[in-house]
Amino acid sequence: MAKIAYYPGCALNERSSHLDRSARDATVKLGFELDELDTWTCCGAVPPVSEERVMNLVAPSRILKDVRDSGRDILITICDFCYNTLKRTNFSIKSDEIIRKRVNAFLADDTPERDYLEKDDSPWEDYAGEVKVIHLMEYLRDELGYDKITESLKRSLKGLKIAPYYGCVMLRPQNEIQLDDPENPAIIEDFITALDAQPVKYPYRTECCGSYLSVSSPDASTRLCYRILTSARNNGADAIVVSCPLCFYNLDSRQKAISEAYPDFTPLPIFYFTQLLSVALGVEFGRQGFEKHYVDVTPVLDKIASSTGKGDSE
Amino acid sequence: MKRIGVFVCHCGINIAETVDVKRVAEEAKEMEGVAYAQDYIYMCSEPGQTLVREKIVEEKLDAVIIAACSPTLHESTFRAAAEEAGLNPWQCEIANIREQCSWVHTDREKATNKAIHIVATIVQKTKLNESLEPIPVSITKKALVIGGGIAGIQAALDIADSGYKVILVEKESSIGGHMAQLSETFPTLDCSQCILTPKMVAAGKHPNIELMTYSEIEGIHGYVGNFKVLIRRKAAFVDWSICNGCGLCMEKCPAKVSSVFDRELAKHGAIYVPFPQAVPNKPVIEQDSCIYFKSGQCRLCEKVCEIGAIDFEQNDQFVEEEVGAIITATGFETLPVADLAEYGAGDVPDVIDGLAFERLLSASGPTVGEVKRPSDGMVPKEIVFVQCAGSRDPERYKPYCSKICCMYTTKHALLYKHRVHDGQPYIFYIDIRTGGKGYEEFYQNAEEEEGIIYLRGKVAKIFRDGDKTVVWGTDTLTGRNIEIAADLVVLATAVIPKDSTAELAQKLRIQTGPNGFLAEAHPKLRPVESINSGFFIAGAAQGPKDIPETVAQASGAACKVISLFSRDHLEQDPAIAWVDEDLCGGCRICISVCPYDAREYDEEQGIALVNEALCEGCGSCVAACACGATQQRNLSDSQIKSMVTASLGGE
Ligand SMILES: Cc1cc2nc3c(=O)[nH]c(=O)nc-3n(C[C@H](O)[C@H](O)[C@H](O)COP(=O)(O)OP(=O)(O)OC[C@H]3O[C@@H](n4cnc5c(N)ncnc54)[C@H](O)[C@@H]3O)c2cc1C
Ligand code: SF4
Ligand code: SF4
Ligand code: SF4
Repeated sequence: MAKIAYYPGCALNERSSHLDRSARDATVKLGFELDELDTWTCCGAVPPVSEERVMNLVAPSRILKDVRDSGRDILITICDFCYNTLKRTNFSIKSDEIIRKRVNAFLADDTPERDYLEKDDSPWEDYAGEVKVIHLMEYLRDELGYDKITESLKRSLKGLKIAPYYGCVMLRPQNEIQLDDPENPAIIEDFITALDAQPVKYPYRTECCGSYLSVSSPDASTRLCYRILTSARNNGADAIVVSCPLCFYNLDSRQKAISEAYPDFTPLPIFYFTQLLSVALGVEFGRQGFEKHYVDVTPVLDKIASSTGKGDSE
Repeated sequence: MKRIGVFVCHCGINIAETVDVKRVAEEAKEMEGVAYAQDYIYMCSEPGQTLVREKIVEEKLDAVIIAACSPTLHESTFRAAAEEAGLNPWQCEIANIREQCSWVHTDREKATNKAIHIVATIVQKTKLNESLEPIPVSITKKALVIGGGIAGIQAALDIADSGYKVILVEKESSIGGHMAQLSETFPTLDCSQCILTPKMVAAGKHPNIELMTYSEIEGIHGYVGNFKVLIRRKAAFVDWSICNGCGLCMEKCPAKVSSVFDRELAKHGAIYVPFPQAVPNKPVIEQDSCIYFKSGQCRLCEKVCEIGAIDFEQNDQFVEEEVGAIITATGFETLPVADLAEYGAGDVPDVIDGLAFERLLSASGPTVGEVKRPSDGMVPKEIVFVQCAGSRDPERYKPYCSKICCMYTTKHALLYKHRVHDGQPYIFYIDIRTGGKGYEEFYQNAEEEEGIIYLRGKVAKIFRDGDKTVVWGTDTLTGRNIEIAADLVVLATAVIPKDSTAELAQKLRIQTGPNGFLAEAHPKLRPVESINSGFFIAGAAQGPKDIPETVAQASGAACKVISLFSRDHLEQDPAIAWVDEDLCGGCRICISVCPYDAREYDEEQGIALVNEALCEGCGSCVAACACGATQQRNLSDSQIKSMVTASLGGE
């Protein structure tokens, strides 16, 4: 079975291990294996937006260089923040000579002289951005092909109305990420269609969920998530699908606070795209880690079970 | 030996600041062949030219060199001055020490040395310059105008009124262009049809204008004064020579086609005229939509047409015409709403563009002038107008300002208020641009008296929510985010060149600028001409323009054509390629390299000749000719050799 280099990132190692597990299960069903890097560190998760131009690129660059050194040129990630960080780091290394030199001075085996760093004339230009960072969903769309998913379906998601939620970092900034049109994307909608489910159109699919505000001003995030969830619900959604652990956290766990703040609110189940994929490809419900969800997903699973005629019996 | 005079211009400080002009003149005096040298503050001024004329006589000069700005600016000025003083104009040369020296350098010492080299180079050329005579070329005194919008109509009428023949070629079945779609026009609010229709009729009836609508340019050959144009007259499937425009066929046609003229807010049959006041008022059958063409059944129009004008067998016709000058006035389009992803990408029914709103306001439009929104026909109580939709956005859309939309948006809000008194219009703007006579007053009045709410900021997103169209924007004056649940949204979409302009420009071999609009020869001083002689431009094809500006430019282009036609013949620059017939071996390499089709093979003599009327003197064939048979007048091999030596500082 083809093995493709895979960077899980911290969230998937811990809190979002169900995202990791379902992705591994699903890809095996599709005929390839996510091959976790032997050693890896945290990518930093936010470096491209900080003022510091180099230090924050060192960790992600080392990950990328290791992939290259192992003789591979594609790296799959799933978490939107890891994807954004790794892809943008690679972009900076490729397009900015000074960054390339400075970062490589840190990556070099022999300790660089201070001079090199100050004068930007490091002789090391070893890692030049050769690795292509790919989001798992991008891999499914562009390398595997969504039609291959449709051909492999074992459970029917027909009749399920799923609202895609993009968040902010999966698509932006457009010139560096180039995954889809950030104002009018289609990659998740097409994924939902490939699963034989029905994508729900609603205006809030690309609006912010509050992201890290969840920590510093949770009320703001509560308000934003309320609008997203309500809009999806009002447009007929049975569930929302996401790929980012932080979006998942905000949209799922935050529903507790939302229910307290907005009495009219009805909860809406949240899925990782890999969970829906894994379920549709026939993997047991029990392996999906649904117990980690705050909002009960049973109503959706019941729908799937009844339309397929088989529940978690495999 | 020739006695050459060198005149070094300061160009105010343009040259003198970076180049030591006095030293250039002194050094020039020392050059072999130079009998006189002098600097002066403004060579092109009357005293400057007088100096040149006087010195030619006093110093008995055989040739003069003006060391100044680019020859494209003043070569003709100084050649005329030299001629007045008795010199052959080709004994006057320009040494460009401004664009090619002072403007691009900062080091005074080095720039001065370079200027001296430039002068020395031109001295070498001038020594060997021959006296030449211009080549006379005849003129076909008939003009071609491409595009029958207000620009093309105005230009055609002006030329025709001065007694010359004009062919007006229009792609659609009727002339009129976008102005025919407009309701009322800023800043005076006169009805667009009322001021346009008389001009359309006049163009249709003028004895000197031949209208060719539903036609396109296929190909073009020739040169200024003598163009041959191939025009394709598209099959209308209606014999226009007998059709009397009764309209019976259109009433009966069962096909339903979205009207382009009505911005898809209405439908017409497969046989149609775009609007009732069309000139000529003759229908065409749109082949792709006609039931008969698709399925072989129907021919209803044929049955009802009493005079038998319907002709399903008609084919495209090709006609060749000879003309002396060409005006391109192919107008504009607007950025499709579907291209604006954040504004609904064309999927939200109640997001329309400015031209669609014009149709809703128009008394002859699909709603007879009542403002009704497309989704359900409701009269909107709240309308949001979004300016700069796709303009002034270098990152995602067009970098430029579309110029007309500030004014027409205020007009739209105002006309809406006049029709729906209790309605509330909002306008999102970046800033309001009202440069034009009476424009600021028009806007001030609307803002102060008409209850329009102006919000300074951009709109981030537009989406449908139930039957409302929600607009998210910012008011940067209060710093607040704004959400409006509107009944209708009108986007002032960017003005872009007509999609066919690029292809046409290529056929005509005229230039377009970075945004696809036709390029003028000089942005300030030659705004209605193309850089290629014989081609003129008018209207929104050259850049976003309102009607007054369009008409002014059209009349300007017409004047240029009339001035061209007022001459007996044209004069072609003789400093072009010529062939030494004894040396030419007939290899024909020159024919393959000439970008102007100026080289032709003479079977009888077995050599390649130069068509002097077509040759632009680019030198391609001179360089390509292996046996040295082709030479360029006043740029002979020996001239070039000594020029290169001089430019490198050699003797
Ligand atoms: C929404 C809106 C409102 C406006 N309101 C006003 C207003 O109130 N006042 C005002 O002063 N201005 C207004 N304008 C501007 C006005 O419409 C233009 O100034 C004017 O139409 C420009 O005329 P034109 O002849 O250059 O171009 P067009 O009107 O575009 O005419 C060009 C013509 O050339 C034809 N053509 C194109 N390509 C070819 C080809 N390859 N071969 C043959 N024919 C071709 C086209 O079919 C068309 O008939 C408004 C514009 C818009 C979009
Ligand atoms: S033949 Fe074509 S144009 Fe004529 S009436 Fe039928 S559909 Fe209309
Ligand atoms: S004319 Fe006004 S609305 Fe149009 S692009 Fe320029 S600033 Fe924007
Ligand atoms: S000089 Fe240029 S334009 Fe003239 S004939 Fe030669 S190649 Fe053609």
